[in-house]
Amino acid sequence: MSTDEKLNPMHLWREWFVKSEKAWSQALTEMMGDEKFSQGMGRYMQEALHTHRMFSEAMSQYLANLNLPSRSDVLDLSDRLGQVEDSLAALHVELREHRALLARNMRNAGAAEPNVAPVRPARTKRPPGHS
Amino acid sequence: MAQKIPRPSSESPADSVEARVKKTVERTLARNIPGLALQQADLDIEVGQTPKELVYTRDTLRLYHYLPLTDEIYRIPLMIVMSPVARGYILDLAKGQSFIEYLLLQGYDVYLMDWIPPRREHAHLGMEQFALNLIDESIARVQQESGEQDVNVIGYCMGGLLAAMNAAIHHDGPIKNLVCFTTPVNSDGMGLYKTWATADAFDIDRIVDELGIIPGDMINASIQALRPLQKRANQMLLLNNVENDAFVKASLRFDRWAAEQLPIPGELARDMVRDFLRGNKLVKNQYRLGDKLVELGKIRKPFMHVAAEFDHIVPTAASSDLIKLVGSKDKEEIVVRGGHVSLVAGGNAVYRLWPQLDKWLSVRST
Repeated sequence: MSTDEKLNPMHLWREWFVKSEKAWSQALTEMMGDEKFSQGMGRYMQEALHTHRMFSEAMSQYLANLNLPSRSDVLDLSDRLGQVEDSLAALHVELREHRALLARNMRNAGAAEPNVAPVRPARTKRPPGHS
Repeated sequence: MAQKIPRPSSESPADSVEARVKKTVERTLARNIPGLALQQADLDIEVGQTPKELVYTRDTLRLYHYLPLTDEIYRIPLMIVMSPVARGYILDLAKGQSFIEYLLLQGYDVYLMDWIPPRREHAHLGMEQFALNLIDESIARVQQESGEQDVNVIGYCMGGLLAAMNAAIHHDGPIKNLVCFTTPVNSDGMGLYKTWATADAFDIDRIVDELGIIPGDMINASIQALRPLQKRANQMLLLNNVENDAFVKASLRFDRWAAEQLPIPGELARDMVRDFLRGNKLVKNQYRLGDKLVELGKIRKPFMHVAAEFDHIVPTAASSDLIKLVGSKDKEEIVVRGGHVSLVAGGNAVYRLWPQLDKWLSVRST
């Protein structure tokens, strides 16, 4: 970094901000940890939940009238996609197991092992200096 | 007529204004700073790249097995329990900055319990399912995969809490050695969360009943509240180091991870607020998972706790009781310089914590 850049007032201000951030953050956190603030935040959250419910109900009716999907419909779709992903993941696991089984059977039968499962290293490692 | 000799310039051609402007423009174009989309795409490719296989899946759990990177591995497999509120790729951020890659290179056989975002059908999953059922099933799977009965476990943050609870209940179980990273056990040490959770106006039941799944943004906001200006400070730091490509990339990766907080099932949030934050039942030996009492004193296996000196998310006041509560004779706590995340992903972790962990764990992995 050039000397010019280090003397740049914005650079110096940012440096000061970074250095003093912890103290400012601590002051703000102490303020937020105040009993009154906590009570106020709790009440705000309750109000926000209430407003959210009212607004959601009103909007879903409105969107249904317009023949448009609501957030709930999108979430339904997201859940369905998630379930499809779960099924794919389960298939992936099962396929991997079948590959491992195939490799084991071929090894037992003395056949050339197909390249279907990763080679397992020996579990014989000793810590350095303990051989 | 005397020949006019040009005055020697103190600026080399590389330092000239024109050259600097050109260099800056070229770098800006290369980075595509006006729209970070391409930069983001680059980062998408970079995180979590250590080769792995999915070996088990159930509800929000994804159990991965990382492919060994050495010809010989330690006998006892190592399972990492990630916190259900955070993405597991923080442990495998980038090549050379990956805790998992480091473990593989030391010869460990590594499994990771990672989590996907819960859906509405997962809203009922509580602490019992996470700490008992899902960990039990994962351990059984690791035993089957590795052919070994013993399993070493590392739990990070809330993952440490889940692992410690499991080890306490199955104190004669397959967990051979337990390591917890910055694990909260005493909610009295979590000042802000404790005050919020115990406020009369804070109705966790209503929040859970209304939302079902607690959104990641809400979790993120509560974490941001612990250091409200840290994000801004990081942005300032980024601007001051904008010419350092490695710094920019590392910073953007961290930012991305921090912004991708996982949502959590409502029931888990309810259990955490009611039994942990409000009741502080773990340190009082009153925490129950179903009909089973969690007594950390029953953990007799070799145990290590790692705390971070400047951890503002799980301060040492919230985690330091763990080492006292655990009943093992062979137990150790190390407090390293750094914060909650730099413990597992910081540039210096590879020199500070990881070698210490390897030294402790390697002799207990044969």
